[in-house]
Amino acid sequence: MPKVQVAKKSTSVDMTAMTDVSFLLLTFFILTAKFKPADPVMIDIPASRSMTKIEKALVISVDKEGKAFYALSDQETRLAALQNMIDRYGDRYPALKTLTDQQKKVFTFIEVFGTPLADLPRVLSMDGVQYKAYQEKLPGIPMDSTNNELGDWVMAGRYANPKMKIAVKGDKFTNIKAVERVIQVFTEKDIHRFNLITSLSAGPAEEEKAPE
Amino acid sequence: MAELDTSSGGGHGKDGKIRSKKMSTRVDLTPMVDLAFLLITFFMLTTTMNKPSAMELNMPKKEDKKEDQQEVRECQVLNILIDTLDAVWYYEGLKVADLQKTGFAGDEGIRKVIIRTMRRVDRECGQDKTGKNRPMICLIKMFPGARYKNMVDILDEMDINKVPVYAIQPYDPIEKEAVDNGGNVKTFATE
Repeated sequence: MPKVQVAKKSTSVDMTAMTDVSFLLLTFFILTAKFKPADPVMIDIPASRSMTKIEKALVISVDKEGKAFYALSDQETRLAALQNMIDRYGDRYPALKTLTDQQKKVFTFIEVFGTPLADLPRVLSMDGVQYKAYQEKLPGIPMDSTNNELGDWVMAGRYANPKMKIAVKGDKFTNIKAVERVIQVFTEKDIHRFNLITSLSAGPAEEEKAPE
Repeated sequence: MAELDTSSGGGHGKDGKIRSKKMSTRVDLTPMVDLAFLLITFFMLTTTMNKPSAMELNMPKKEDKKEDQQEVRECQVLNILIDTLDAVWYYEGLKVADLQKTGFAGDEGIRKVIIRTMRRVDRECGQDKTGKNRPMICLIKMFPGARYKNMVDILDEMDINKVPVYAIQPYDPIEKEAVDNGGNVKTFATE
């Protein structure tokens, strides 16, 4: 009887194909990943059960102290909005007209903006270290009825990109008066439909304590 | 994979010729694959995690046309007053009376009130011109001490309970006074 010889096979598998696939995926994820921009203002958003996702938006953030900040999602829109504001306020603040292209470029890199227009030329000429220090205590955008820059910024953003959704991002413990003022600014500008940015709540409402 | 040919030590054969060592060209790719998958996992988990959700809010236009305006019966109205953090007061009808305090805690708080009032309105308030049952109308009023969180909470409750008509309105000084008095309405204020 002839012996059945079991063929000896190597236990090692060729990994090349697997490497190819995994690196392809890796490259894809690295390229699509968008890192969360470092938020200069800490905003702890309230939770709701709303599931609607929001992508590109003009976001007005309101922090705990009731200061308002302005954020546009992409750089071209920011530049267009700035240009619009310069046209509008150039006569009142002549320094705005002298902004160089370099300074305008600096503006487009600001993720969350919170400076009164009068101060803008000075802020845009700061270097990185100075701006970091300045960012710690952003003054916020004026929105009272005598100097309603926020309303004009909102309109400037809308002109720059009319398809953009408008959203309010308030902190949990922001006093309602500040949020109501922002909403009033919107309604004055004939914006009656907007979004409130919330995080998804996990389940039964959890109790939270107000900060001191 | 990582078989390196170590059999020929030194390279001096019998005939004294120097031969170059034969090296395998294959490299072990396993650690590289490990690393790649680790990174893939990391990027997959971090990218999908942070997309904010949003709730939509419609505010009424200022110049309301007469024909758009709804007729409001006293019976349909539920007023919700939001005081300092997590304190909610409510009363039914258009006259400030019988204020009661509640909270946001789950099913026991304001949600119970909303559901109860909705049922009552459906039962008692009759039908409008088109023959439908009159809907409940929620008027939300926020006092100066209120926090934004509670505004989102109450709008969320409107959404959860599918309240058909609701509006955020400025508060009446009488309501503020009543809440400050612990829910008691002074007699002269009630008209």
